[in-house]
Amino acid sequence: MAEILHEIEACVPALRRYARALTRDIDRADDLVQDCLERAIARRGLFQPRGPVRAWLFTILTNIHRNDLRNSRRRGEIVQIDSIPEPAVQPPQPGHLALAELGRALETIPLEQKEALLLVTLEGLSYQDAASILDIPVGTLMSRLGRARSALRTLTGTPAEPHLRTVK
Amino acid sequence: MSEITKDLLMALADGQLDAAKRQDLERRLADRPELAADLAQMQRQSDAIRALYGPVISEPLPARLDAARIAASTRQKRGRFWSNAVAAVVIAGLGIGAGWFLRDLSAGPGPADRLIASAVSAHTVYVGENRHSVEVPGDDSAHLTTWLSARLQTNLAMPDLISSGLTFLGGRLLPAPDVPGGRAAQLMYEDAAGERLTLYVTPALTVDAPTYQLATLGVDTALYWADDTLTCTITAPYAPEKLETIARSVFAQLSPRATDPAVYSP
Repeated sequence: MAEILHEIEACVPALRRYARALTRDIDRADDLVQDCLERAIARRGLFQPRGPVRAWLFTILTNIHRNDLRNSRRRGEIVQIDSIPEPAVQPPQPGHLALAELGRALETIPLEQKEALLLVTLEGLSYQDAASILDIPVGTLMSRLGRARSALRTLTGTPAEPHLRTVK
Repeated sequence: MSEITKDLLMALADGQLDAAKRQDLERRLADRPELAADLAQMQRQSDAIRALYGPVISEPLPARLDAARIAASTRQKRGRFWSNAVAAVVIAGLGIGAGWFLRDLSAGPGPADRLIASAVSAHTVYVGENRHSVEVPGDDSAHLTTWLSARLQTNLAMPDLISSGLTFLGGRLLPAPDVPGGRAAQLMYEDAAGERLTLYVTPALTVDAPTYQLATLGVDTALYWADDTLTCTITAPYAPEKLETIARSVFAQLSPRATDPAVYSP
């Protein structure tokens, strides 16, 4: 029991990072992590680990986030794009994507693609782990990743051409 | 040489390939600059995402995300939850228990069965109260008699059960949708051990109903009888024999003119 609590504790910074990228809002992200921790800790006695605690926590957080979005959509709540603070951005360097531009682009891709992309790139999870967190086959995960990447490429103005002018 | 698929390229960009596969693929990409450019593009996307949100990992955690603190407050909440849940289960269980025990005493839940169930529910709810177990305390017995007699439109004396070791605590008025007038009186008594006994008294039913029933419900026993002016259900955590003895005393005081063979039979 105490051991699981320590494992949960060790995952909090990564959960926060994932939540921040999902929501792009520090308060909403921390609300999400808090909800996730409360549920996980309340149920830790019932938890029969099928896999690592980390995967379990990411699954809970992903599901809470989806439910929150569904509920706010049902309520007709509108999140103002302008009210979302931009992350601190350095001036774009040659050969690098402008970070602010990428942040905005991430906001516009479908949630299921964003979840897949963040788990793999930001959290550095294996395809297998990411697929099991999202409860989808690995093939589905890869097709979501592929679509997310093409969408981002289009949105950030670097089309998927074999010879990219921005490359160097 | 197998084809270099988009998925394979992506797996390479995402660090999903083992060392051997990675080296093999990188070697083959040397001749395919357009695919190498695609790979570089995907890697830049990943780098950018990590550059944007990676630093969150080293931010100090706010107190509300402290797992130990959440665990402590969850324990408290859970404690409250369980005590409420246990109370609910006990009450529901008694109701279900009443239904089970009374199931074959008459055909279907007749009016007497419903009265007994109401009596047992009221008993369960109010004997657990300490400061609010009664509405009018027993030291104002005259007022209780006047008040409850008027409400029940019958002549209701407060039985004295001192000889059975029971002190009169007082009484209250309760709704009783199944009886004429829609009201019942509950009188409560307590023995030296702190166990409580209640009488649930209503005006007589206008329909035919059994005049005597005994039911055991977990620790409680309920004894019901009816005469032509009233019904009374006695509920207490006593054995049936002890309850029958007390019932004779109660009956004699509530219906001094009547006799009931069921109660008085040896």
